[in-house]
Amino acid sequence: MNKKYDRVIVAAIAVFLGLIAGAVIILILKRNPISAYYSLLRGCGLAPKVKYAGGKNMLSDFSSFLDYMTPMLFAALAVVVAFKTGLFNIGVSGQMLVGSFLATILIGYSNIPSVLAKPLVIIIAAAGGGLIGGLIGYLKYRFNINEVVSSIMLNYTASYIIGFLINTRYVDPVSRQSRDIGANARLTLHQISIGSYKYDIPLGFILALVAIVAVKILLDKTVLGFEIKCVGANREAARYSGIKVGSSMVISMLISGVLSGIAGAVCYLGYISTIQPKVLSPTGFDAIAVCLVGGSSPVGILFSTFFLMIISKGSTYMSSQMGLEAEIASVITGLILLTSACSAFILERIKMIRRKRGAGE
Amino acid sequence: MNNLSTVIINGMSFALPLFIMAIGGIYSERSGVTNLALEGLQGFGAFTGALAAYVIGMHLEADSMVPTYFAMLFAILGGMLFSLLHAVLCNYFKADMVISGVVINILAMAMTAFLTKTINKNIFGAASDKFVLGVMRRFDIPLISRIPVLGAFFTNLYPFEIIIAILAFAAWYLLYKTPFGLHLRAAGDNPAAVDAAGINVIRIRYLAVMMSGALSGLAGICFAYSISAKFSSDIYVGYGYLAIAALIFGGWKIIPTLGACLIFGFARSAGYQIVQQLGLPSSYSDLVMVLPYVLTLVLLVFLAHNSQAPRALGEAYDKSKR
Repeated sequence: MNKKYDRVIVAAIAVFLGLIAGAVIILILKRNPISAYYSLLRGCGLAPKVKYAGGKNMLSDFSSFLDYMTPMLFAALAVVVAFKTGLFNIGVSGQMLVGSFLATILIGYSNIPSVLAKPLVIIIAAAGGGLIGGLIGYLKYRFNINEVVSSIMLNYTASYIIGFLINTRYVDPVSRQSRDIGANARLTLHQISIGSYKYDIPLGFILALVAIVAVKILLDKTVLGFEIKCVGANREAARYSGIKVGSSMVISMLISGVLSGIAGAVCYLGYISTIQPKVLSPTGFDAIAVCLVGGSSPVGILFSTFFLMIISKGSTYMSSQMGLEAEIASVITGLILLTSACSAFILERIKMIRRKRGAGE
Repeated sequence: MNNLSTVIINGMSFALPLFIMAIGGIYSERSGVTNLALEGLQGFGAFTGALAAYVIGMHLEADSMVPTYFAMLFAILGGMLFSLLHAVLCNYFKADMVISGVVINILAMAMTAFLTKTINKNIFGAASDKFVLGVMRRFDIPLISRIPVLGAFFTNLYPFEIIIAILAFAAWYLLYKTPFGLHLRAAGDNPAAVDAAGINVIRIRYLAVMMSGALSGLAGICFAYSISAKFSSDIYVGYGYLAIAALIFGGWKIIPTLGACLIFGFARSAGYQIVQQLGLPSSYSDLVMVLPYVLTLVLLVFLAHNSQAPRALGEAYDKSKR
């Protein structure tokens, strides 16, 4: 039995246990868990709704679902890359914010033609995010500062400073958020009419698939990727074999930051078009969950993102249909996380059962 | 009241809850269990405490202090209960302790937000995402509060500040002056030796994590009764992480950690005072909020490489590897 297969089994078991626990809560609230879970699928355009508003159909729901999950793909990929060096990038939200804020003020409010503006948005956001990510890596390497602590500190610092700048310079007096960016800079083609229906077309989604393949190649086929994984597996062994541990850490955090920055761009200049001051996007924290469930592999997160985003995107529809609070979605996600955190334990148990069976034969 | 007194009074009422939470973190980490869950634990404690205050307060007069003390008790119990999750994940399921901590935080935020709404709707019949608590009544200690300058430390106190001071001293005594404290500290440095001496390492680690849960819960309800005056998801503003930063600064020792917490507290209150004195618009206070975080980073740059973490920190104890 190969290892990859085992990991998929373990992830599936963890998710299943989490869903069962969620179902128990739904039962306690005297609702039917199966129809609750089915309404999640309906909310994401994966199952037909009973009734559609004008200009909407299942495919248009699905297009907004893809739009919704695109930031998470980048964010989870960012966590994966850092995780491979044994670092924990809990600062994705802050990096998203810095990257997207810079892109918003430099490009979002300009008249640059969209052919030029869209790539520039991505480049600037990537640079902004990469800068913060790289800084966290450097602080770890040079001053031995725990990356979790520095990420958190930078998260809040970024959030308050950017909040201050938005409130004093870029605020929309009605919505109390930053002013809407122009359509030229937006990475989602918002509410495009095709036939009689309107769709949200996320340009970033294709870029995300490209990024996943690129990260997979980087990790599996290049010297840098090999070094990154070595440092993650055993820092001391890597040091003795002559790998520059410090620079591997800085580089992987830099890449992680770049991906986070792009996540910010496809979120704040794609899925939505404004930044709410002093609020850190939950995407950055949920990305850790997605990475965990996806077995911290680039291909794994494609599936775990798809799966977990159904729960969070579908929760609005579920809440309106079932009369359950939408927050229950994050509780279910949290429960899945809890069981996923025990995946090493589950794996051990599977091996033990297998060994016993092997001995019996 | 002059400026300096205000800075001292507000600084202390922020620094002390932070300090008691950091002490909890020290207990957990000195026993060998990395604890990033402080943030979630303080939030969950604040939730159970606020809920208790609500339920008990319904049957009492409005200005009664009884619900407040019950709130503290239930916050301690709630935090302790929730911390068991972290203890079980780390000790029994051998989960990665950093991941477990983050998971606990995410789960605490999700659960308290969900439960607050559900309970408000189904039990209190109100569509609300918070429990309003108000601010705890303050008092002066007679005579000593009249001393110039230093008297400010005894003026306008929240009752919880006294409780924290007593608990902090007890925690210090327990950790450094008793056999249990010695075993706990040894469990984080050399668990195999502790085990060889016939002491149950896992049991010590469970107790240490529960201690951190209890103290974090207390800190959470103190923040809920002072800074935020309510329980809502606003309680998760990173004070738990700030406490972790403080204990790392303090080199996992209680007295230096107090120093770190005081620096955070006074930086924050002094910043606010400056904004107010200069007559700046309120949006400038956001810049002040940055101070503790930036200060942490700057100080860590100078101090992090000197501080010595417990040697077995973050490793699940495995008897078979002895």
